[in-house]
Amino acid sequence: MNNQRQLFQQLFEENSKRVYHLCYGYTGDSDSANDLMQETFIKVWQNLDRFRNQSQFSTWIYRIAVNTCLSYLRTAKRRATDELNDSIIENYTEEPSEKQEQIAQLYKSIAQLEENERIIITMVLDEVPYPEIAEVAGISEGNLRVKIHRIKHKLTEIYNSNERV
Amino acid sequence: MKGFDEIQQLWHGQAPDPNVSFDTVLKRIRSSRSAFARKLFWQSISTGVAVAILLWMCLTVDFSTWTTYLAIAIMIGCICYYFASQLRDYRDISNSRDLLSKPQDYIRYLKTFQQKRYRFNTRNYAIYEVCIAVAFALYGVEMYFALPLWTFIGLVVFVIFWFVICHVVFMKQYIRNENARIGEMIDNLERIKGQFSESKES
Repeated sequence: MNNQRQLFQQLFEENSKRVYHLCYGYTGDSDSANDLMQETFIKVWQNLDRFRNQSQFSTWIYRIAVNTCLSYLRTAKRRATDELNDSIIENYTEEPSEKQEQIAQLYKSIAQLEENERIIITMVLDEVPYPEIAEVAGISEGNLRVKIHRIKHKLTEIYNSNERV
Repeated sequence: MKGFDEIQQLWHGQAPDPNVSFDTVLKRIRSSRSAFARKLFWQSISTGVAVAILLWMCLTVDFSTWTTYLAIAIMIGCICYYFASQLRDYRDISNSRDLLSKPQDYIRYLKTFQQKRYRFNTRNYAIYEVCIAVAFALYGVEMYFALPLWTFIGLVVFVIFWFVICHVVFMKQYIRNENARIGEMIDNLERIKGQFSESKES
């Protein structure tokens, strides 16, 4: 039991930040992202004995995080992008710096992508290796590369057009 | 104008980190376990009490017709069936192995689960309603011999009126809301499933 707790703590420390980024990119607000991250790690704890070493722990945790994000739709409707932007900006300190505003703009741009694109791009931005992303998303690496190319282009365009406004 | 590389640099410089500590997660694991146990405990207690009261009635009250005993048996069956179904679905969604599946398989699982819950809340509820009506009708035989005629007729009219109200007003409205809710959910799941499809981009 103690070993399991130690392993769980190690997994939490190594993966929580990236799981949080994934949830934040998916939902567009930090409160929901924190909730989904907690939910993900609760499921990780509950399923720890089912891990079979068929993949890396990080891939396995990402898979749980993605499915947890997908089930988020069951309970919450998608919010309008403007609303998302407001909540993102509110989550920063009282006087947001230019950099913080740019990051808020980036999350706003990610929120304008389709759900699977949000999941894939947050992993790309966190520099998760392509084979791992392909395994998490359940698609072939070739297909993933095509998708990533298109999503990068789409995100850059959305980000720049939002910045111009 | 920023390129993707600059966007990536911006991403790595972001300040907001999760504000949830490891201890908070551990605490929530413990509390959600106990919440699950508490929910099960109180559901079991209320089911047990309801069944015990009905059994006690069977044993201590000397009903004059066998139809009343059959009515009580039907009521006990309905209560136990409802409790077992809730328990099974709750466990199913809490401990689902599908959580570790590919996103497209997980979406399929969510869709099936939602449809199953929809059937339970609508079609099975209709069966449940019929069973309760049959139980009342069977109990009515006992009442026919025990009550004055006009009281009995008044009671029957009231019960029929109540059933009609429940079925025509409440149930219809509930099914309409459930239809809209499940429809939106299935549309969303279908849309996301399409996004994860292999064929879409290749």
